[in-house]
Amino acid sequence: MRTVAYYKGCLASLSAKELDISTQALAPKVGLELIELEAVTCCGAGDIHEAEPDYYLHLNARILAYAEETGADTLMTVCNVCTLNLRQANHALQGDPALLERVNRNLTKVGVPAYSGGVEVMHFLWLVAAGEGYELLKGAAHRGLKGLKIAPFYGCQILRPSKLLGFEDPDRPSSLERIIEACGGEAIDYPAKIKCCGFPIIQAREETALAELIQPIEQAKEAGADAMVTPCPLCHLSLDAWQSKLKAQTGKDFQLPILHLSQLVGVAAGLADSELKFKRHVVSVAPVTDKLAV
Amino acid sequence: MQVALKIWRFDAEKGERALREYEIDAPEEATLLDCLDIVKDRLDGTLAYRKSCRMMICGSCGMRMDGAAVLACQVRMHDVAQAGHVPVISAMGNLPIVKDLVVDMAPFWGKIRAVTPWLEPGFSDPGEQEHVVSQPQMNAIHKESLCIMCGCCVSECNSMEADPDFLGPAALAKGMRFVGDARDQATVERLQAYSEPHGIWDCTRCYFCNERCPKGVDPRDAIAKLGAEAMKEGIDSDMGAKHAKWFVTSAKTTGWLRETELVPKTQGIVKSLKEVKFAMGLLRHGKVPPPFPPHVAEHVGEARALYDLVQHEGEDGYDGIVQLEHALGRLEHEDGHGEAAERGPYGEGSFPKPYLPGEESSDGGGSE
Ligand code: SF4
Ligand code: SF4
Ligand code: FES
Repeated sequence: MRTVAYYKGCLASLSAKELDISTQALAPKVGLELIELEAVTCCGAGDIHEAEPDYYLHLNARILAYAEETGADTLMTVCNVCTLNLRQANHALQGDPALLERVNRNLTKVGVPAYSGGVEVMHFLWLVAAGEGYELLKGAAHRGLKGLKIAPFYGCQILRPSKLLGFEDPDRPSSLERIIEACGGEAIDYPAKIKCCGFPIIQAREETALAELIQPIEQAKEAGADAMVTPCPLCHLSLDAWQSKLKAQTGKDFQLPILHLSQLVGVAAGLADSELKFKRHVVSVAPVTDKLAV
Repeated sequence: MQVALKIWRFDAEKGERALREYEIDAPEEATLLDCLDIVKDRLDGTLAYRKSCRMMICGSCGMRMDGAAVLACQVRMHDVAQAGHVPVISAMGNLPIVKDLVVDMAPFWGKIRAVTPWLEPGFSDPGEQEHVVSQPQMNAIHKESLCIMCGCCVSECNSMEADPDFLGPAALAKGMRFVGDARDQATVERLQAYSEPHGIWDCTRCYFCNERCPKGVDPRDAIAKLGAEAMKEGIDSDMGAKHAKWFVTSAKTTGWLRETELVPKTQGIVKSLKEVKFAMGLLRHGKVPPPFPPHVAEHVGEARALYDLVQHEGEDGYDGIVQLEHALGRLEHEDGHGEAAERGPYGEGSFPKPYLPGEESSDGGGSE
């Protein structure tokens, strides 16, 4: 068992609870013991980075400090945006002793433990796409996906900027494909799998965002996908919940089920209904569950 | 060495497009641009592309290799040729094609022009001496000053693809170059203009611009600096700015995003009422968490107290992002961590990795 500090972030605590529930249920099967961080806040989702960058740095330093306090050397995230925000803050603090000292002075003033820079931020995807996690995953996914055609959708902030993320080639990633195949599914290839889902501007600029959102959904459908999988709950929210808006706008009713990564592996690993929580999706997951007879 | 290329030819007059393959013999050290020169010289004089400096300075030779925008004079072909891979060369995206690999840069220049790309020093009289700009002041816009206006960032900008009027990464980075210039007296006017529709708040944060820029300008970070500075100046009426502000309010009140209130706080009550039908659909699936009782993080008082503390740190506005940038730069270039530290400026790994089929892109493990 590898012990990691677990930061679930806002969405998995709120509208995407199914992500948290399925991740917690799946973790032991892939060799992860999760220590959930309780006393933490939002990472700022790129918005606080833009509105109040110094506050963003302090909030993320606080999360890192509490992660370090658990004794784990890894902070596990389940969201692309959390991953980039935390890794960016972490690299900055590790790279500049004067900055770390200033931030620590403020952290300790308000009662937060000081951060020494000893944690690495890793997305759940990275922990199960390689090494021991991947070996365990292959064994755990015994129920398989019966050749279901799954479209991998990476989203942006787990690939780019690669100098802060750097797990894999940002233009030709393969971790999701590897996992889909290890679970007995067939990975579908389509160009928009590394592009933006439109989420960051879906409220302020809906039209632009929908023009982005339609690309992966339409392309995956055309390539024959039964479902799509994503490692990011924000991508999940726009891909799943905003599909109805695409219908209103274009008349096309895609009905493409969107799975969180933990649900895709989870369903292959035989997690129970109550652990997968497919009912919380807007687009029905029936095409997947019917085929697998879950 | 033998190099094979597939090039998308395009004839704008006839509107005809064709993928042609060429094979040439090139010296080992040849770049993509050298190879195009050989094709043009020996095989097909009608091939059109732009070039000038041949050394990553003029910004003329932006094009796509296997779908990713690069400077042709930057990419060495040795590894690609050795692997037997035949890369596909095409014109940059998001700009109209004139012929083959030549795009019409007029929309690009139009957007650069739209951000008033010159100093507006006002009428402050330096008196007997000249205005002195300190090194730290110049450092704040160091990265933005590196832009060679090649268009590689624009080529793959996801927001511009969806909205051709979006000012885009190169123009906004240019804007930041002047907003951050200590001599410029038009900061507020600039920030107001850049905050209009199709400006700062239209960026979808896809980070393609940072990934593609051959000069390390990191346009997305420049846009974040503009956003931070605009909000510091109280220019925050755009929905994008309100969206960002709500995250700050959430963090210091409950610690977690107050998700359900995000829509009315961003769009205003009237507009968000029109979304009621949509919201009801989400509600049925638990996608609209009830705002009461609020989901409050443990020890949220600490987050609140931190907020008050950072207000007195003097790192507000774009300074807050510049400090991060400098810290990250140190890590890359000085401290021996990270991949960049292992690279010489022109050595192996200093250029975007070419696509070599059959090669596992990563078996993971290290992310450092
Ligand atoms: S920001 Fe970079 S990619 Fe964009 S035009 Fe300037 S140099 Fe080229
Ligand atoms: S991050 Fe913004 S400016 Fe940069 S390419 Fe993406 S949408 Fe365009
Ligand atoms: S020819 Fe000048 S940048 Fe390539």
